Amino acid sequence: MDIGVLTAGILTLAIYSFLYKDNPVYKMAESWLIGLSIGYALVIFWQTTIIDILIVPLFKDGRVVLVIPFALGLLMFSRFSRGSSWLSRIPIAFMIGAGAGVAIPAMLYARTLKQMSASVMPLITENGGFNIEALVVAVGLLSTLAYFYFSREHKGPIGKTAKLGTYFLMIFFGATFGYTVMSRMSTFVGRVDFLLTDFLHVIR
Amino acid sequence: MTTLRTRWILFAGLAVVVIASYLITVHFRTTASPATQAAFDYLETLPESSVVVFSFDHEASSLPEIKPISLAMLRHAFQKNLKIVGLSLFAEGTAIGYSLLRKTAGEYGKVYGEDYIFLGFKPQYISAILGMGESIRRVFPQDYLGNVTDTFSIMRDVEDYNDIEMVISIADGDRTVQWIEYAGPRYNQKVMAGLTAAMITSYDPYLSSRQLYAVVGGLRGAAEYETLLGKRGGGNRGMLAQSSAHIYVIALVLIGNIIYFRNRKRRGRG
Repeated sequence: MDIGVLTAGILTLAIYSFLYKDNPVYKMAESWLIGLSIGYALVIFWQTTIIDILIVPLFKDGRVVLVIPFALGLLMFSRFSRGSSWLSRIPIAFMIGAGAGVAIPAMLYARTLKQMSASVMPLITENGGFNIEALVVAVGLLSTLAYFYFSREHKGPIGKTAKLGTYFLMIFFGATFGYTVMSRMSTFVGRVDFLLTDFLHVIR
Repeated sequence: MTTLRTRWILFAGLAVVVIASYLITVHFRTTASPATQAAFDYLETLPESSVVVFSFDHEASSLPEIKPISLAMLRHAFQKNLKIVGLSLFAEGTAIGYSLLRKTAGEYGKVYGEDYIFLGFKPQYISAILGMGESIRRVFPQDYLGNVTDTFSIMRDVEDYNDIEMVISIADGDRTVQWIEYAGPRYNQKVMAGLTAAMITSYDPYLSSRQLYAVVGGLRGAAEYETLLGKRGGGNRGMLAQSSAHIYVIALVLIGNIIYFRNRKRRGRG
């Protein structure tokens, strides 16, 4: 048997041994998982960020301009010293400024403007029929917004609309929870598939 | 001790249900959802040699769902003789993406560098996505194996998003959102997704607002795609186990509620 499959099979069983109770075999497998994940990510980031983007272009290709991001990166470590920790605000300010400048227009468009335009649908279809989906979206949107409208007390028509909004929210939470359960079941099914086919060869 | 014993019985019951489902053969008739059908139809109608990007933006823990989705879509793309540019914006997805790409390419006798390439991982996903709109080769000067990207024939005609028909983000988190937000509006890049089931509702607003072209979601989505493709795989194989597990959970919920209401009634009498 392939050593990788053997290791994966034993570690899968070791992790599932937690279902019986916490035990040293589970602890060992858990520590391996965390250690390997961090080690793998560290190596990938070291190579793709420090070596490929900084060291090679700066020292081998002579791109002197990279001294600036390199210096900004080093300033982040000034947080370890109380006297000079204020220096770390320079790269943080740069990151937040650049990040906000790039992110705000993109997010405003994709998450707000496009969603608003998608929420406004004609109630009559091109064939002359009634668009029930548009009605559900309109009622759901307005009632859910009413639930989060706190400037007036939730009494009378606003209270009833807000109450209706909670039902839409519950449907959303229920659907999300259902999908999450489905996802976790899929993970278990996937491991059983691996154990029965590749590890134990019970099925083909 | 009673609680612990109950827990063991419930877990053991789930294990028995799932294992038993694998030991019996039942072929499910899977009907494709509109979102999966749209994804399939798009790849089906693309002309040969069109370039699609597969971005493996997920962790290893979601492999049971991600793998059947990826395999089904990659097989379809190779079957249609599309050119595939693989990459990853999530460190853990890098080795998995490369391995899945190699596996499916081998099944169809595809040549690395001509029919497909894997560019590897790029940190700072926003700058990577935006940078690819200017020059993909500048963002990825080397492929995953350390070769100069320019030397491969597949990359000679691929400069930026204008040469990419579709970005297919295989994700278990919000990385596809970044593809939608940064490659979509600015570069008019079409994006579709292969997602874990837990993420489907988060992406529904993008799907209904047509910012996301299509979604293949969860093990069920993989099974639907495999059915459309006519190749049974991990998705179809797992559907009976998944459905049985769901029925088991629903039965537990019903039994739990019956016990709860019966006890409440008894307490009321007392």
